[in-house]
Amino acid sequence: MTIVAGKTGARRRLRPLPGKIWEHRADYAYVLPAIAVMLIVIAYPIYYTIELSFFNTPPGLQLRDKIFVGFGNYTAILTSPVFWKVTSNTLIWTLASTFISFVLGFACALALHREFVGRGVLRAILIIPWVISAVAASYIWKWIYHSDFGIIGAVLVGLGLADRPPNFIDSVSTVLPSLIVVNIWREFPFAMIMMMAGLQTVPEQLLRAAKVDGANAWQRFWHVTFPHLRNVSTVTILLLAVANFNSFIIPWIMTGGGPSNASHIWITHIYELAFGRQRWGVASAYSVLLFLILMTLGYFYVRALSGNERKDAGA
Amino acid sequence: MSTIAETARLGQARRRASIDGWRWGGRIFLIFMLLYTALPMIWMLLTSIKSGFAAMQFPPQWWPDQPTLASYQKLLDPQNSVGQDFLRFFWNSLFVSTATTILSVIVAVPAAYAFSRFTFPGRNFLFFAVLLRNMFPAVIFLVPLFILMRAIGLVNTHGSLILTYLTFGLPLAIWLLKGFYDNIPVQLEQAARIDGATRFQAFVLIVMPLSAPGIIATAIYSFIGAWNEYIYAYTFLSKNEQLTLPVGIQRFFSENTTDFPGLMAASFMMSVPVVVLFLVLQRYFVRALTEGAVKH
Amino acid sequence: MAHVVLKDLVKTYGGFKAVNEVSLTVDDGEFVALVGPSGCGKTTTLNLIAGLIPITSGDILIGDRVVNDLDPKDRDIAMVFQNYALYPQKSVYMNLAFPLQMRKLPKDEIDRKVREAARVLDMTQLLERKPRELSGGQQQRVALGRALVRDPAVFLMDEPLSNLDAKLRVQMRSEIKRFHQDLEATIVYVTHDQLEAVTMADRMAVMNGGYLQQYDSPAQVFAHPANMFVASFVGSPAMSLIPLEASTANGATALTSAEGWSLALSELNARKVQGATTRKVVLGARHSTIKLHKSAVPGAIPAKAYTVEPTGDITFVQAFLSGAIINISVSPTIAVAPDEQIWLEFDQERIHLFDGETEMALEAN
Repeated sequence: MTIVAGKTGARRRLRPLPGKIWEHRADYAYVLPAIAVMLIVIAYPIYYTIELSFFNTPPGLQLRDKIFVGFGNYTAILTSPVFWKVTSNTLIWTLASTFISFVLGFACALALHREFVGRGVLRAILIIPWVISAVAASYIWKWIYHSDFGIIGAVLVGLGLADRPPNFIDSVSTVLPSLIVVNIWREFPFAMIMMMAGLQTVPEQLLRAAKVDGANAWQRFWHVTFPHLRNVSTVTILLLAVANFNSFIIPWIMTGGGPSNASHIWITHIYELAFGRQRWGVASAYSVLLFLILMTLGYFYVRALSGNERKDAGA
Repeated sequence: MSTIAETARLGQARRRASIDGWRWGGRIFLIFMLLYTALPMIWMLLTSIKSGFAAMQFPPQWWPDQPTLASYQKLLDPQNSVGQDFLRFFWNSLFVSTATTILSVIVAVPAAYAFSRFTFPGRNFLFFAVLLRNMFPAVIFLVPLFILMRAIGLVNTHGSLILTYLTFGLPLAIWLLKGFYDNIPVQLEQAARIDGATRFQAFVLIVMPLSAPGIIATAIYSFIGAWNEYIYAYTFLSKNEQLTLPVGIQRFFSENTTDFPGLMAASFMMSVPVVVLFLVLQRYFVRALTEGAVKH
Repeated sequence: MAHVVLKDLVKTYGGFKAVNEVSLTVDDGEFVALVGPSGCGKTTTLNLIAGLIPITSGDILIGDRVVNDLDPKDRDIAMVFQNYALYPQKSVYMNLAFPLQMRKLPKDEIDRKVREAARVLDMTQLLERKPRELSGGQQQRVALGRALVRDPAVFLMDEPLSNLDAKLRVQMRSEIKRFHQDLEATIVYVTHDQLEAVTMADRMAVMNGGYLQQYDSPAQVFAHPANMFVASFVGSPAMSLIPLEASTANGATALTSAEGWSLALSELNARKVQGATTRKVVLGARHSTIKLHKSAVPGAIPAKAYTVEPTGDITFVQAFLSGAIINISVSPTIAVAPDEQIWLEFDQERIHLFDGETEMALEAN
């Protein structure tokens, strides 16, 4: 937010604010509905979550009877071994999904940039996984990974690579990578669309100039295309990271966090604490910690976005 | 003389080889990605036209011996209790998604326009506050919203979902549309106002038609988001007759764990509306992203 | 048609004054050009007249009506924009009809007026096209047509020619002038191109930094620039301005340079210099009033040619003199080479003198 203030503040502060606001009263009417919805559905929940994180709540939803425990919930979280297990899962999940989705999506965008027969059809097919519901995707892959009748296991056995179908999602060591494959399947198309849109804005003249200057395909990519896409890439990676950090459906439906917490990530863990074990206070404290992490990411997100804005104003 | 020509030819050949190398690498990569993307969906379709018995075999029937549409007939038969449920879930999803979409457009269009055109105090703060909504996971809001919805009597109603879904769609919708409005020259509205239009008329008659692709893209995004949403629907709704498709299917198949053809058929049918919608209108979506999000 | 009066017009953005106490009157049927470099406040002034932005203080009258708080649609004005602002989704016909539809005219009257305007502007065959299918010149003409159909009290034009190529610009310039004469229209025309202002306008208002610098006929502005800004802005190539020092010895006044050369002033010019607030005086001379000699002549000042640009019927020479760039035009029969030694003779009758502190033109009292 500091950037935002810096950008316009200098000019604006010269006038008394109330007068300014009054002068622009009609403009607020346009944003009022959006802001009202946002306030109800965001500001209040955030406040309530923070409040609840300092209380202990007996099972059941009799939240009137909550007991103040100070930072008790927070210390309970930070000293529990499950917390560290879940955190490391979340990190692996978020980093691997984000990085691989971005690389695959970017590579697809580059490969699809040149015109060829069937490009439109291919692009459409590649986007489909992003459009279909994560619930459907989870069931499709659960069936593919099935320990008795799954197609991957059958192929591996058929090729003689395994004696019997492997237990992809029932085994502590393979469950997380297996779920990450599903997540990437759903997510790389988003990176692809964003980067395709970004590629269209790379000035053709610059590429031609680089060609005249003797740059080969790789040098043109590295010195012209890639720097031009830095901002889009940042926004894409951040959006992917946030989406992955906030994933719920795939692990929840496919494994429910099991076996023995091997695929529990923050969000599924919080959900289970709150709605499964009714430990609202602890779940809220978890949420507040999550909130702090996301605010940090959010800071970079806003910075990347306002970087765009400023470039725009300069042009 | 000949050596120079030779060297030049060699250089050309090498350059061609390197370009071909990139191109071939790209093609092989695309084929790999096509398989990765399409094979799971093809397996879903093949499974959905097997009988329950044919699906549970090892090694599997790569191609169904006796293809059957029985699973689809069961889901679409209003006489059958399964079909009754499925069709009801389908209509619930359609209602919630359509209502969310319409409201999103109604709320996002004026907001995006204001963010693009006016400079009022707090404009940037509000704009980024709206965008920050994207950062927060559903779970953070789940408990307080559940309590809030209970307080205002919306639990177990579709209203609770529509109100909540509105807030997911809005940030991206406002962002995309703002990009569109930024690209429409302000002189067009000025011309209209001088030609005798009020500010509102200038907006409706001149600006709205020009931002139609953005509005369409916004609508698709809202619709798909609402159609696919699971966690709030799972938490806010408990009555069977109100469930939306993702939750309904999950409920149903947690009771019938071995009916994989039925599950695949349901997954397929759940995907059809959004996939068709997206494929028909995808050019607007890509254009909106290019003009609205990336370019500026 | 109507006259337009601006009284002490002020527009501020936060602490920044974009338009500063501008007062001027545009007579009924007059063509007035607002001219100045970018950021001088000319477009802001036009937008204030149009009502597209609210004024901070002062008054705007169109006809005899104070229009300060009226909506643009109620001011009875038409405007032509730099980027034409044609509605891209509407055909040419619908673009022309739009202002009439907004005024709820009957359909047949709209049709009659649109066809009449199309006939006048010679674009009847374009009526069904979309703006993007038109050339720049055609779009420009549609934009003019849209202003024309309404028969407004005042036409406002915001750099309407600056997006056209050079040849078309000259052609459209005379077309707009013709349009003004035929309609006896009141026109306020914004441009950054002083040549457009000089060739088209009855009067030109030269602006800089939000202030009105001079408001007079182009001939007057050209012959008697009010200050150094106007002097250097109007005319091409620009007037040469040489900073000098005035000195009086034995009753005769001369201007002396740091390099040591001096220019004795005529009696009239000497009287002008006496009115200056300091001894610093800036000598101004237009390219056509400076004589170039290839050998020393009494009264001529030695200088060195820097660049030579033959244009065919006239050759422009740039020279350095006492740190200033001097533009001179000579007949192509005189051959001058870069770096050649030349001598410059100023015409006492046609030089301009400016106060070195206030930058205002010096006049004899």
